[in-house]
Amino acid sequence: MQLEPTIGNLRSKLIAASCALLGGAPVARAETHDVVDTINRALTDWQLDAALAYYHENGRIQAVEPVINAEHDLADGGQLDFDFTFDALSGSSPNGALTSRQVQTFASPSAKSFAQARHMYTVSSGNLPVDPNYSDARVAGGASWTLPLSRLTRARLGGKFSYEDDFYSATVSVGLERDLNDKNTTVSFSVNSENDFLQPIGGAPTPLSDYTQFEKGGHETKHGVGVLAGVTQVMSRNWITLANVSVDRFSGYLNDPYKIVSVIDAVGSPFGYVYENRPDSRTRRSVYWENRVGWSQGSVTADARYMTDSWGIHSETAQVHLRWWLPGRDQYLEPSARWYRQNAADFFRPWLADTAAVPSDVSSDFRLAAFDALTYGLKYGCKLTDHLGRFGRELSEFNIRLEYYEQSLRGNPAGPPASSGLDLYPKLQAFLLQIGFSY
Amino acid sequence: MRFIRLSVLLLVCVAAGSAAAREPDPVELSSLRGKVVYLDFWASWCVPCRQSFPWMNELQKRYADRGLTIIAVNLDHERADAEKFLRKLSPGFQIRFDPDGDWARHFGVQGMPTSVLLDRSGRSRFTHIGFRAADAAQYEQQIQQLLVEH
Amino acid sequence: MKLTLIALSLTVAAVSSGCTSLGVEPWQRELLARKDMQPGGSRLDDAIDDHMYFSKEASSGGRSFGGGGCGCN
Repeated sequence: MQLEPTIGNLRSKLIAASCALLGGAPVARAETHDVVDTINRALTDWQLDAALAYYHENGRIQAVEPVINAEHDLADGGQLDFDFTFDALSGSSPNGALTSRQVQTFASPSAKSFAQARHMYTVSSGNLPVDPNYSDARVAGGASWTLPLSRLTRARLGGKFSYEDDFYSATVSVGLERDLNDKNTTVSFSVNSENDFLQPIGGAPTPLSDYTQFEKGGHETKHGVGVLAGVTQVMSRNWITLANVSVDRFSGYLNDPYKIVSVIDAVGSPFGYVYENRPDSRTRRSVYWENRVGWSQGSVTADARYMTDSWGIHSETAQVHLRWWLPGRDQYLEPSARWYRQNAADFFRPWLADTAAVPSDVSSDFRLAAFDALTYGLKYGCKLTDHLGRFGRELSEFNIRLEYYEQSLRGNPAGPPASSGLDLYPKLQAFLLQIGFSY
Repeated sequence: MRFIRLSVLLLVCVAAGSAAAREPDPVELSSLRGKVVYLDFWASWCVPCRQSFPWMNELQKRYADRGLTIIAVNLDHERADAEKFLRKLSPGFQIRFDPDGDWARHFGVQGMPTSVLLDRSGRSRFTHIGFRAADAAQYEQQIQQLLVEH
Repeated sequence: MKLTLIALSLTVAAVSSGCTSLGVEPWQRELLARKDMQPGGSRLDDAIDDHMYFSKEASSGGRSFGGGGCGCN
């Protein structure tokens, strides 16, 4: 039987040949060869993905977010996963008050009274009240360990944390996966527990208290437990489908400590403001279904999710991604679209009337309002396997992604007489630009 | 008319079912009687399969003169995909192409990769599903055990 | 009744001869092994998107990934 030349032999022959041609010193070349080999060998069981995202809302928040993810294959067939995110946000954040023709003055969360001029901000006539000094930095990370219990069963243990100056969060999760039918079917089950510690700037305000009284306390906590059950099924060579059912329940301090609700008089002028209050618990149920169909030149992914919760919110989400490999299979384009609709929470009110009693739960946060949202995206990717010389790996890739997101509030009451002609429910428009690198 | 159509369909299904269990060419394997054969079923898209190649190269070099023959049976649908990887991996052992999976079905391949160890009389003695670096030493012990036998 | 018996025997015959089974043989997963065909194949993008939607909408999560892919090992 013929002994085929190994890679090592071929490489050194090529190096020797090219050295001879260039008249260079073979010793130096051999050293570089070793360094490249050492690096490649050390990274054999690692897969790295990194991205830098820039998010910008029209007239509101902008954020810069670098993310990195590393996967490591273990000798026993298991896997370790690490991820790390850093977020820097700044800009203007809506404080929950209603747009008015009158000029409104508000105090930043760090203010202790209206006498501290440098902590105040003014919102001019007809503009959405936003805190223009919003800024936040967040660090988050996670790790998970997949450990094979048998050829067909795996356990997964995970933990993650998130840290910003007014909010810390820690989550642990445990899961089990089992393959059936020659790995054509996989069933999974996982449980997670989250603990959050809030230390709002200026202290947590007494819910529903008068905004001008600055009744603020200290810190708060909340706790959540969730379970998720899923099944993945290979339908054919080209088609895989997956379905998940999940339930989670959060309890504790669920308010946004910085959000207020406008109390307006009969004409519609601001009479005062109260801090919002949300129920002490929230149970959510969701069903998720995903399908992927592929062929040699591309694939399409379509997924849908339906969610309901104990706050009276239910939502529908549908997404589609089309992966289209350009001829040569070195580059791809991936257009995508997402459609989202939610209805309002039971206690959502854009404002309160001064004559009515203040309900036990009320919030003007637009995130709890009824709205439709659309996302359009386009991603371009390019394989770097042949462009990185000896560092090129099969999954080396550069990609760039652009998404446009818009949210349109709907079904809200027309404003009071004093606000006629004002846009009380402005549309949110944002874009996301991301560059990524896989190695 | 309907009954005839239905029974034709039934016959086709039965025929397809039995055709799938075709025997591989007996001449190829019987010519290797007297050698210990390590059959490895692999494909270009299977990462653990490719990871086992350097180890199999070592094995072939180490035990060739004691009667070990490694045959890597490729199950790629497109031969071009397999050849692209063979150029990179430069294996020091035989490659056989089985795009329709006839050999795979005959040897009952349940996962990728699968390795089947045949002793010197051609009987299948050990089958391993999957390749993990941690198990390589045990596989080598089994090969040594079969090489000692006559 | 007669039609039901024929249909039933055909199904039994078909299933026993391997004509109807959901899924593929272990060596037929070349497309499923591709990253864009794996549930969870675009983790980083999903994580960034999820963060954006979590901060703007009332729903979050519900997704998880397991299974699919090349089915190796």
